[in-house]
Amino acid sequence: MMSLEQFENRNVSESGYYKVDIESYPETGWEKAKQVFSRAIRGELFVGLWVVMREMIKFDIHTVQYPKEKLPVGPRYRAVHEMQRLWESGTERCIGCGLCEKICISDCIRMDTKIDENNRKVVSEYTINLGRCIFCGYCAEVCPELAIVHGGRYENTSEQRAHYTEYDDMLTPFDMALKGEVPEYPGFGAVTPHEDERVKSTPLAY
Amino acid sequence: MINFKINGHSVTAERGETIINVARREDIYIPTMCYLEKTTPCASCRLCSVEVEGMDGFVLACNTPPTEGINIITDSDVLETERTNIMRMYDVNHPLECGVCDKSGECDLQNKTLEFNVGVQQFAAKDQPRKIENWGLINYDPSLCILCEKCTHVCNEVIGDDALDLLFGGYNSKVIPKNSDVLDCTFCGECIAVCPVGALISSDFQYSANSWELSKVPATCAHCSAGCALEYEVKHAGIDSNGTESIYRVKNNFEYATLCGAGRFGFDYDNKATKDEAAFVKAVEAVSKAKAIRFSSLITNEEAMILKALKEKLGLKLFNRDARHMQLFMDAYASVSGTKHYSADLESLKASDAIIVIGSRIATDNPGVRYAMTTAARHNGAKVVYMHPLEDALLQNTVTQFVKYEVGTEEGVLALLAQTLIVDQELTQREQAFIDTLDEGYLSAETNVGDDELELMKKQFLRSKSKTLVIGSDILAHERVENIARLVALIEKYGDFKVLVVPTEVNTLGVSLIADLDIDDYSENVVGYNAKGNFVISALEGADLDVAAFNQQEGTVVSIDKRLLPTNVALGFEGYTLNDIANALGVFAENTIDYTSNLPEKSGFKAVGFDDLGNFYSAKGVDERGYVLEGVKVHRGGHPEEVAELPEFNGAVIYHANPVLQFNAFTATTEQLENDNNLYGSASFAAAARLSDGDAVSFVYAGETVRRIFKLDNTLKGTVALHPTFDLGLNVRSDYRFETVNFKRESK
Repeated sequence: MMSLEQFENRNVSESGYYKVDIESYPETGWEKAKQVFSRAIRGELFVGLWVVMREMIKFDIHTVQYPKEKLPVGPRYRAVHEMQRLWESGTERCIGCGLCEKICISDCIRMDTKIDENNRKVVSEYTINLGRCIFCGYCAEVCPELAIVHGGRYENTSEQRAHYTEYDDMLTPFDMALKGEVPEYPGFGAVTPHEDERVKSTPLAY
Repeated sequence: MINFKINGHSVTAERGETIINVARREDIYIPTMCYLEKTTPCASCRLCSVEVEGMDGFVLACNTPPTEGINIITDSDVLETERTNIMRMYDVNHPLECGVCDKSGECDLQNKTLEFNVGVQQFAAKDQPRKIENWGLINYDPSLCILCEKCTHVCNEVIGDDALDLLFGGYNSKVIPKNSDVLDCTFCGECIAVCPVGALISSDFQYSANSWELSKVPATCAHCSAGCALEYEVKHAGIDSNGTESIYRVKNNFEYATLCGAGRFGFDYDNKATKDEAAFVKAVEAVSKAKAIRFSSLITNEEAMILKALKEKLGLKLFNRDARHMQLFMDAYASVSGTKHYSADLESLKASDAIIVIGSRIATDNPGVRYAMTTAARHNGAKVVYMHPLEDALLQNTVTQFVKYEVGTEEGVLALLAQTLIVDQELTQREQAFIDTLDEGYLSAETNVGDDELELMKKQFLRSKSKTLVIGSDILAHERVENIARLVALIEKYGDFKVLVVPTEVNTLGVSLIADLDIDDYSENVVGYNAKGNFVISALEGADLDVAAFNQQEGTVVSIDKRLLPTNVALGFEGYTLNDIANALGVFAENTIDYTSNLPEKSGFKAVGFDDLGNFYSAKGVDERGYVLEGVKVHRGGHPEEVAELPEFNGAVIYHANPVLQFNAFTATTEQLENDNNLYGSASFAAAARLSDGDAVSFVYAGETVRRIFKLDNTLKGTVALHPTFDLGLNVRSDYRFETVNFKRESK
């Protein structure tokens, strides 16, 4: 049980404090000059210089050469959105349900949908205003089709903001999808692992 | 009165009420999927099953009238199981496409599935190939259809098209067009409205927006005088819209009200013009110097008040032909009946069991009246007598007797009607003398209405308890309108009839009750307000000053029900309004709706402000929109005069009547409504006018040459052709609708 007693004891010396051994400060002018001299003329400076020199000669450099080189980001990182395609057919995953538009708390997603010649719903226009987006990840979480996900592209510089809001830029290139180069997406917005074990099967009559 | 109990509560039922009627009235919940208040019960869903204490099995609350003393149980474990099982059946193989389905968010099946917690499909049926049908304005997806039959019931019992049928085939059942490969109907779209799932859907709306994104604007339809309630559903106009909004669809309270296709599909007539200051300055100058303002009745009561105030301030004349005709009719009618307003409305028409329609191609002139008549015919077995020079194929399922009369002889027909329908009544001496001196032989010969026809009508009406006489716009615009009105009032007074007058335009009745109108002398220096003039202020294309269209305004109109109905702004308008012009000329009001509370009380209006007007149907179906005009007693003193010599129309006669869903220049600008402006005539008309199918003709209408293509229509009879006027813009003149014209043949 806690009690107030231990807080009421103000005698700090009993609780294991001890004094630090500090050299006395130089007092006379001579003593001061001696301290400056002894601190300045030490060989430690050359030790540091040698380490730099040694590493330079070895050419074993650990610095990442950004922007030529980039560090990989973690799969749960939430950077600029990507629109996925289906793995095998390359069909756009987005069905135009509008849930990302609805859930977006900064109101930066907007889509236009229409009926196509096969009587299916298609997205005719899709924009994300990245100037407003707060990268909260709700859109990717709510998406029932794993269509909108957060990718790893974290660099948000361009001459124009509009460059980031083109649907085609966000969409995985079709030829990549056809070649099977699009990996099953592991990043933010993906289903949790072993999700399929939780799916209940529906009886089928055929 | 039947006394019984629901869940132990004592309730009483009126005669003819079913269990569900009483339960809903008493706020007791019984779930349904197929029940529709305005039709006879479909009884297809069986979700409304209830138990009767002491009896085995279930009864259906929707079509079972209660008997004295029983105790109904609406909620028990057995019922819950029964209902859950029904929902499980509904959900078998229902496509899991809620994500894209247009109905998602307002779907009855979705709601009930969640209500009964049907989370998994426990059994299966082999699905059938089902083809999505495109029926023009309507798309049908049979795989979403739950076969509730609401659409077929409403199409047959309320609309009267009888165009939908159910193809029975077990699990392969579906809705099909009746006796036809494609849907051949008036495209009212009421089937879309009543569909509880996304099976029937507007093809224009489909997949363009989700229901939760649309904001609803309660308004009044601006196309005819039925004044139907509707809701504009508005959303931003798309990604590149730059902040502008557009109307995506129109919905209505289908449980209690009905809407035609013009209201449902003809909503995009808004004026997109912006502020033009130079035009405004010119308009103010034009009005201040004008001799008169000519205006149409496609305006609100408040605008009519502004025009009236301008008249008083500037000493202008006001021209409005259709409202003036209405005034002439109503004044003469009131001088005999003693009341300023006619006695019937659409609700009383629905409850009638005997109806005479005269002087209107009613199915296209005012679909609201048509639907009320269909309801009366189907639900009360009403005898409907349609009197007109032209038969109307749209009414063939409703009309029990068609009486054809000669063009122009409406006065004679009404006199004959008066003589037939007024039996054994104590008339004043003068009235008796009028009836006695009618020259029946002459009238019968000239009108071509035979004795036998009138006798048949009389015989049909023998057992009728509630009779209505519907007067159309042919009569309002007739040369002898005043005497016809007195005859109408006489029939009402002694023939035990209620009278319903069909105002020609949206707000003809309102304008006629507000404005003090002058005789249009076609003089120069006239400013046209949504009408023809030397300077035109209008919401239509080609105006000198653009003003807001009807769906961009707030204000009120008076409908055929003599009800003041408010309408609201669905889409914003950037330009000027009539009120701005009035303000510039010293008739000051901050907003147009400031005039609402000042509408003339001597015409029956109440001193109620616009913001205090309701615009909804209550949960129990009570119409809470605006208010019904007060009855106004007026001095009696009119008497029917002797019937004048009946006119004859020889040669090529055309009848100015618009095709289905078209009413005026505004409906003509809408995207979805069909723009069929051909001249249609029967084979005998073609022979008489020496025209053949596909001929291009021209003739003079309202002072301007109109070019039309003539088409043969085999459903028409007689020697009168149908001529549409909806596409003529401001050049529509509200005169007697039959006209003899000289056709000039044009090269094709």
